[in-house]
Amino acid sequence: MSLLKPFSKLPELNTANILLVENEEQFQQILAETIVLLKKNVNVNVRLARSLPLPIENEKFRPRIDLVVFIINLTSELSYQSAEVSLKFLDPDYFLGKVCFLVTNARNASVPPERLISVRKLVASLHCPLLFAEDQMTDGVNTAAHRLLAILKVTSGHVPMATGLYLSSLTRCTVPSDIDQQNFD
Amino acid sequence: MAERSSTMKTPLNKALAQRRSKRRYSRRSCGEGTYLGYTSGRQTVLKIPTSRKKPKSRDITNQVDPDQVALLVKKEWHLSYVTPLYQFRYTMLKTYSKELSAFLVSEKQQGQTIETGQELCFKVNISVVLGLAETNQDAETIYIQILSKQVFAAKDEAQKVVWSGLLTCINGDVDYLRSLPPEFVSLPLLCTSGPESLSALVKSWLKKTFDCCFGPICITSTNLQWLAALWTGCHPTKNIQYLKLAWTIPTQPPMDVTYKVNPQDVWKLWDSARLDDGAEDSINIEEVNSFIRGLQTHFFRHFRLDLSAGSLMRVSTALGSAHHSGKIKITSPDYMTTVLQLLTECALLKMPI
Repeated sequence: MSLLKPFSKLPELNTANILLVENEEQFQQILAETIVLLKKNVNVNVRLARSLPLPIENEKFRPRIDLVVFIINLTSELSYQSAEVSLKFLDPDYFLGKVCFLVTNARNASVPPERLISVRKLVASLHCPLLFAEDQMTDGVNTAAHRLLAILKVTSGHVPMATGLYLSSLTRCTVPSDIDQQNFD
Repeated sequence: MAERSSTMKTPLNKALAQRRSKRRYSRRSCGEGTYLGYTSGRQTVLKIPTSRKKPKSRDITNQVDPDQVALLVKKEWHLSYVTPLYQFRYTMLKTYSKELSAFLVSEKQQGQTIETGQELCFKVNISVVLGLAETNQDAETIYIQILSKQVFAAKDEAQKVVWSGLLTCINGDVDYLRSLPPEFVSLPLLCTSGPESLSALVKSWLKKTFDCCFGPICITSTNLQWLAALWTGCHPTKNIQYLKLAWTIPTQPPMDVTYKVNPQDVWKLWDSARLDDGAEDSINIEEVNSFIRGLQTHFFRHFRLDLSAGSLMRVSTALGSAHHSGKIKITSPDYMTTVLQLLTECALLKMPI
C-alpha cells in the first residue's frame, strides 16, 4: 500500500498540480480540459485517476500533488463507494486542507436523498470542503473549474498569507443537526 | 435535508398564521428549549426511516369492503404527492361528485362549437374506503371514479369506468399530521389510473377546490430496494413466484439488465441477510443493503458487471411491481398497506413543506 504524500517532494517553480479522482472518468475529462484552458498566471497540471492508490511505476515522475479532488456522481452508488475506498490511500497530511469533494447530479430527482446525506457525513467527518457542480452545461463546468482553480492556487501556495488549512477551516462541510436527528430513534 | 427543516408552507391568510405562531410558542414553552435554534422546523422534520416493521399479512377484506379492495388491486397506478387539502369535508362527498362532473363536462366542451354527436357525459363517484387507515391520525382514504356515458344512451347500457383515483394516507408521520391546523386534511398520496388528460383535469379541480398542489413522485432506488426486501420477506406466507429487478447501466448506449431470481433462492439470501440482534419484527436498512449487495455480487461474479454503477429501475414480484418513474401495481391485497405506507412516506418526503 503506497500512500500519496503531500510533502515528500519539492514544489516546482510557478506550478500547481491538481489530481482529479473519479470512478466514471466522464466529468473528470471535461473538467480537466476546462481547467487547462482557463486563463491563469501559474502553470497548472491536471492529473487524472480512476481511483487511488496511484501506480507505483510512475512514482518517480509524478510531481507533488497540491490538491486532490474526489468527484462523486450521486446517481451511482459505485461512485461513492469507490471514493470511500480511495480515501484510505491518502496520507493524513492531505486532510489538512489539500482535499476537496465535488458532487455532481445532486439535483437529479431520481437520486435517493440518503446518498447525499451520507456523502455530507463523510465529508464533514474529514473536515473537507464540499462543492457541488452541474455537469451538463458548459457554464456549470466553467464554474466548477474556476472554483477548483481558486482552491488550488491557495493550496499550492500561490496566494500570499493564505494556506490550504486556513481556507478549509473556513469552507469545510458541516452537517446540520437535523440530519443527525434522524438517528435519534 | 436542509429544506425539510424549513418552516411549513406559508399559511393562506393572516389569521391562520397567527394561530400557527401561537401554537408554536406554546409548544416551545412546554419544554422544547433544547432545540431553540431549530424550533421552527422541529414539528415538521421528516425522517428518512432506517428501519421498518416486518410486513405482516393483513386480511384487509375483513375491515374493508371486498368490492372496494377489488377496485384497488391489479391496476397500474401513477403516483403523485398532494399537499394537505384545505376545508375538505367527508360529509360533502356527494356535492363534490356533482361539482367535479360539472367541471369535467364544462372543460371538455370548451372550444367545441359544433355538436359532434360523440358528446360524453361524465358521472363521478367519490367514496370513502373505510378501514384502510392504520392509525387515528390517518385520514380515511378517498376513492374517485369517473364513468362516462353517452347522453342519449339506452338505460341498460353499461357505463364505462374511464378514470379512477385514490387519495390516501397510511401510517403518515404522526408528528407531521399533528402539526397541521385543523382546517387541513392530509392525504399525501394520489394514485391515478386512466388517461393523462383526465388526471390533469381532476388535479386542476382539486387544486381549485381545496387549494392544494401536486407533484410527481419518483420511487428512488433505495425505496425500490426496500420494496424488494419487503416483498421477499413475505415469501414464507405468500408465494412471490419470482423476484425481478431491472437496472439501467449508464453506458453508451444505455444498457438494461433484467435480473430474475428464483423465490426459494432469494428467500434464503434474504434470510441470511437478516441480522440476529435486531428485533424479530423489524427490518433494518443495513439488512436491505446487504441483501441487495448479495444479489449484486452474485451478478458480478457471473457477468463481471457491477450493478451498483447503475440505477435500479423496476422491482416486481407476484405481489406487485413498482417502477422508478412512480408507477406501481399491487396484485395482492394482503400486503397492500405495507406498500401504501412506504409510498405515503415517499409522498411526505417529496412534498415541499
